[in-house]
Amino acid sequence: MSVVIPKPFVPRGGPRELATGPNPYLPAPARIMRAADLVPDVRLFELRFTDSTLADSFTFRPGQFVELSVEGVGEGPFSLPSSPTRRGVFQLGIRRAGKLTDFLFNYLSEGDEVGIRGPLGNGFPVERLEGSDLMLVAGGLGMVPLRGLLQYVVDLRERFGRVMLLYGSRNPDAVLFREELESLARRGDVELHLSVDATQGKPWSGRVGVVTELLDEVVCDVPSTYAVACGPPVFYKFMLEKLVAMGFGRDRIFLSLERRMECGIGKCGHCAVGYTFTCLHGPVFSYWDAMNLPELIYT
Amino acid sequence: MQTFRMNASFLPAFMEALKRWGTLVAPVERGAGTYVLQAIDDVSLARPDALRTILPFKKLLLKPRFAMLERRDGGRTEEVFDNDMGPIVYFGAHACDIHALEILDLIYMTDYVDPYYRRNRERLTVVGYGCMPDEYCFCESLGTETVERGFDVFLTPLGDRFLVTVCSARGDDIVRANPELFEPASRADTRDYLKRLQEREQSFSLAMDVTDLPYVLELKREDPVWDEVGKKCLCCGSCSMVCPTCACFNVVDERPELGRAVRARTWDACLYRDYATVAGGHNFRADRADRVRNRYYHKQEAFVREFGKPSCVGCGRCIENCPTGINVVEVFKYVRGEL
Repeated sequence: MSVVIPKPFVPRGGPRELATGPNPYLPAPARIMRAADLVPDVRLFELRFTDSTLADSFTFRPGQFVELSVEGVGEGPFSLPSSPTRRGVFQLGIRRAGKLTDFLFNYLSEGDEVGIRGPLGNGFPVERLEGSDLMLVAGGLGMVPLRGLLQYVVDLRERFGRVMLLYGSRNPDAVLFREELESLARRGDVELHLSVDATQGKPWSGRVGVVTELLDEVVCDVPSTYAVACGPPVFYKFMLEKLVAMGFGRDRIFLSLERRMECGIGKCGHCAVGYTFTCLHGPVFSYWDAMNLPELIYT
Repeated sequence: MQTFRMNASFLPAFMEALKRWGTLVAPVERGAGTYVLQAIDDVSLARPDALRTILPFKKLLLKPRFAMLERRDGGRTEEVFDNDMGPIVYFGAHACDIHALEILDLIYMTDYVDPYYRRNRERLTVVGYGCMPDEYCFCESLGTETVERGFDVFLTPLGDRFLVTVCSARGDDIVRANPELFEPASRADTRDYLKRLQEREQSFSLAMDVTDLPYVLELKREDPVWDEVGKKCLCCGSCSMVCPTCACFNVVDERPELGRAVRARTWDACLYRDYATVAGGHNFRADRADRVRNRYYHKQEAFVREFGKPSCVGCGRCIENCPTGINVVEVFKYVRGEL
């Protein structure tokens, strides 16, 4: 399968333009093709640009994000849980968390238009990951960007070695993409390890406990494996050092970070951490790079 | 670069001539000893020797608040030109201002070029004016006390005349269109110019040691000094508002009337409490000390790493305007353990 994805870029190069137009602040209209709840308060939106040339040419790297806006309400950054191997449409996995997302959940449905700017950020270094085993580690909503990478890996399955997915959720009702992940596991594409913090009385066959304990379940050849982690700040606090303790080099662990990406193009300053603009140089960093930017992880 | 001489009595005529290149904007005395940058018609109001206007020239490029996009119900989202200032001649820029302009260009005119900034920037004519430092100026420490580029024309006062430096084709146009105002500079003019430079160098009273400052800061990240500055700082953001290189902004969506949505952009400051708050409420810099440290590190460490120089030009506005008397020069002395 041949896939066209943007090359990884050198930040502050250019001049360059976003796929969505020469004014980087001006969103391109996109139509909601499908909207379905993954779990309560997290909805998967499938979008297609109304301009068919843009819709067909739009591509991105797994791990990049877009800014979604509803004029008059607001704009926010959302990571892409879909893969550039599937063209024409793209998806956003959105948790209800504020004014903009409330509006999305309450008032917008299939057929409505929103504005999209992007793709933004650097994305996962997929070229570097090729040929290696992958250990994907997700906590909570961190599954959203990792699902994009997972879809990419599954679509280009022969380019990657073993794929392990370790995914921790709050409870059995909060597991995102559960059926899909289980089906991938049955097909043998992915080795799936799920955990929940508590079962809350629901049927559950996976592990109960914190997500870091899943690392004890898997045996992998660390030197030929890359770890890619994505989750909330507290997740990183425990997960990253445990991966290091398992023998992972800090430059073989990648993580995707959340910050307040407002402009998405390294201008407004809100996501700056040290000399790094999370929106431009990130959101994906190696652990080594992230730990040398003191505010990046443990704040 | 070309140099000329202009008789001091020609200054009003020169300013009148500048109007051909755009709206003339110059420092004007608003109250005793306070100056603001404003558009003038009467050239006698200009006070180009004033050291610091309350707000720097950045307001001529990015208004404190402007609409970026607009959408009428049923229509498409469109760019609006609320920020357009038209052609402006900024008269009375000092060396530090011109260095600050270069820093804003590094942020806004590279990579994804900011179209709102660019429209004003490309039509901006910069006419510099030589200054003498006061007790708040420390540009010399940052190497921004002189300029070799970034302006169109620069006037250095030499008593009864000016040494006129031309640094762009537009500056050349200005000189060629007004030949009656200029004559070739003589040896005496350049001699007096150099003498003035020497005098100026000797009149700095404030100095900041920037040697290896990014490395020093890296080592001092956890230093208690940041907690102490954090206790003193009100996080009012005044220093950022008056800073010629602080250019952070916030984006807000509004419905000013039924059927019309506007996306506007306002100046913002990293010292404000919610600057780094994300959806769901997590604040990555909840403590004042973290926010204060972030501001100093961004200026003197982060910007150096990204662009090769600090984003402070030593204009002294933050010192003059801090309501609790925080002085950036003293903060860094303290960080180095000299206080």
